[in-house]
Amino acid sequence: MANVTREELPFDVLFVGGGPAGLAGAIHLKTLAQKKGMEIEVGLIEKGDSLGSHSLSGAILDPIALKELIPDYLEKGCPIESDQCRDSFYFLTKNRSFAVPFTPKYMHNENCAVISLSRLTRWLGQIAEGLGINIFPGFAGTRVLFGEGGKSILGVGTGDKGVDKAGKQKSNFEPGVDLTARVTVFGEGSKGSLIREIGEKMRIFSIGMPQIFETAVKEVIELPETNPFLTSEITVLHTFGYPLGMETKGGGFLYKMKDNRISLGLVVGLDYEDPLLEPRQMFLKFKRHPLIGNIISGGKILQTGAKTLSVGGYYTMPMLAVDGALFVGDSASMLNSQRLKGIHTAMKSGMLAAEAVIQAFEKNDFTRKTLGAYEIGVEQSWINKEHYQARNFTQALSQKGILKFMHVGAQYFSNGKGMKDPISIKEDSATLKKLSKNQIEAAKIEEKPEYDGTLFVDKLTGVFLSGTQHVEDQPCHLLVHNTVICETQCYEEFRNPCTRFCPAQVYEIVEEGPDQRRLVLNPSNCLHCKTCEIKDPYKNITWTCPEGGGGPKYSIV
Amino acid sequence: MDIVVLVKQVPDTESLIQIAGDGVSIKTDDLKWVINPYDEFAVEEALRIREAQGGTVTILSMGPAKTVEAIRTALAMGADKGIHINDPIAEGSDSLGISKLLAAVLKKIPFDLIIAGMRAVDGDNYQVASAVAEFLGIPQITQVTKQEITGKKIRLNQVVEGGVAVIEADLPVLFTAQRGLNEPRYASLPGIMKAKKKPLEIKTVGDLGVDAGQVGVKNRKVKIAALKLPPTRKSVMMIKGEDPAALAANLVHKLHEEAKVI
Repeated sequence: MANVTREELPFDVLFVGGGPAGLAGAIHLKTLAQKKGMEIEVGLIEKGDSLGSHSLSGAILDPIALKELIPDYLEKGCPIESDQCRDSFYFLTKNRSFAVPFTPKYMHNENCAVISLSRLTRWLGQIAEGLGINIFPGFAGTRVLFGEGGKSILGVGTGDKGVDKAGKQKSNFEPGVDLTARVTVFGEGSKGSLIREIGEKMRIFSIGMPQIFETAVKEVIELPETNPFLTSEITVLHTFGYPLGMETKGGGFLYKMKDNRISLGLVVGLDYEDPLLEPRQMFLKFKRHPLIGNIISGGKILQTGAKTLSVGGYYTMPMLAVDGALFVGDSASMLNSQRLKGIHTAMKSGMLAAEAVIQAFEKNDFTRKTLGAYEIGVEQSWINKEHYQARNFTQALSQKGILKFMHVGAQYFSNGKGMKDPISIKEDSATLKKLSKNQIEAAKIEEKPEYDGTLFVDKLTGVFLSGTQHVEDQPCHLLVHNTVICETQCYEEFRNPCTRFCPAQVYEIVEEGPDQRRLVLNPSNCLHCKTCEIKDPYKNITWTCPEGGGGPKYSIV
Repeated sequence: MDIVVLVKQVPDTESLIQIAGDGVSIKTDDLKWVINPYDEFAVEEALRIREAQGGTVTILSMGPAKTVEAIRTALAMGADKGIHINDPIAEGSDSLGISKLLAAVLKKIPFDLIIAGMRAVDGDNYQVASAVAEFLGIPQITQVTKQEITGKKIRLNQVVEGGVAVIEADLPVLFTAQRGLNEPRYASLPGIMKAKKKPLEIKTVGDLGVDAGQVGVKNRKVKIAALKLPPTRKSVMMIKGEDPAALAANLVHKLHEEAKVI
């Protein structure tokens, strides 16, 4: 926008994104600085309207990093739902379930805890504020401030607020601010929009090994006090098989929480091939499976949500340090898909980044030369130990048929090396198969899901239960580059998968006459999961940050 | 022009609202707290008046420790200072008790104008602002969508059933803000940094000289007997049909056979 003067607000260190990686990093940094008597001014921005409002996870937490960060976390009131993780693992067919007698060691969860990530994040935020960290929820980073020639990073610009649909300033226009820092730590979560910009300019991603993703759809359900599951032994339940089948990666989870609540979700690998597959519909089928249906009977949905997970692992980690910046958490592919966990590695990565930042201040050098200590830190830590042996895991699961089990089995007995190392893989946007005539005909006979408004709700009620809200009068944050593709080619070849993979009905195709159709966007429904940017077969969608403060308002997921 | 804005911190309307075990309060564990949206209009209007005429804007609020976040947000928008009544004795007061405490503060500080939101979106009582004006013995004008100050006079547009009443009064007055008064500004990042250093006084019931026997949960004149959630929203049903006549017939059929309302 022309003629806008932007104020500059300098910090010593700026964290972009208030998830577990950024918060653990900021807390560790401030604690180390205090011990060493160093004055370091730390700022943290978060696009959600409060800390935790965009945090969603299963979640089972391995408290290893939390213990290192805050040894007395329990005394400090860390919100734990249950510290009894008793695993059960089921293979599902359409109507039956089979308990799997042998669970691989990486899926054992004793010593772990069931948590709500939204709650944990809020709690970490309170600790961070207590340490004097400047936390700014409701401010989205929308521009990376590059140094000369795009070779270094100087900070991040926040988005303008009070701009209308047409891009004009409203009466309450508030220009964004340039937040500058000696070091900027990016922890944007899965598929960040700033790291995309950095990737294009600074080539931090490996070319041969694309990041791949999964989409999780989740609900927190309150069960009636009389529900027998509440007093049963099971606290942690994982499933595979139905409704995804054996060719689509993913599985279901059900964790027991406090206050008669359970956390229920389904994770779907975005390398799926069938354009007609609908992750949220799969989740509803999962809920209706007898094993799950019996457990949740009589329940009521309290909150819903969805997010993507970056599951590529070891070989998809970007360069972790550049001049003036570090990358942590899901942004840096820290999630360990083999253990179905990423919070502990995210936190640890933030802490290792903080240690490198301290060194940079001690040497007064903020280039990759000193900040690179973070990369070495990750390499020498338990993050690497976990990741290295899982380095081909998600790629093996992406293989079809019996091959996937051969890969996974071989890896199990060879510390991750398996039959091929590394296994190469396609981008998620490249895996959809064009529809045949028969499939298109079959698709016309739609399955009518039944909703009761309490335990089974339609997409829009789901959006309502996520608390998602955006300022209506603002520019559309989803950039669809060529809508002609949507209305012709994509319709012909895939029947517009965006209308199905989006869990929040952001994308709709309206029939306007014989062979005439139009793409309609409902950007205010957006849950910020970014599945659309990842899965669109033409890479026709770019997700940008809407006005800060918009999006879901998660509190217990 | 010394302006005081009455601000209340309320649960975000998008929060997960659940009735607590006692049946007369809501669960507060997972709530997000915000400035009452109508009070944001009040803060914005006060800032605009100060920008035009000079003076100070003071934020006055009452509530537990977390209320300070609402006051800081108003300071980040641009208000000058805050006064926070924070005393466990006063917790759970009804509108009358709260008004007494707010009025007690106002009796001790200079003001030309008091602005409040026309209602708080949590309790929805529409009472506190009016009662404060009564205790102070000053004119009150509710549901205002426009104001204009000339010298010692204020002229206001008040929303009434089906129209607008134009009201004039001599300052000092108290008026309450209705939607449409303005579009509140955002708290800016530099504003938030500056707000951390702005003065914020904390007052107790004792400081204000109010009799503790008139405030707090024990001394409520109005007691909540029960809270009930509104009926849950049912999914929308789309009526199908080839032409308007068929659509109408199907609609009538559904209303008669399924909804049984005709």
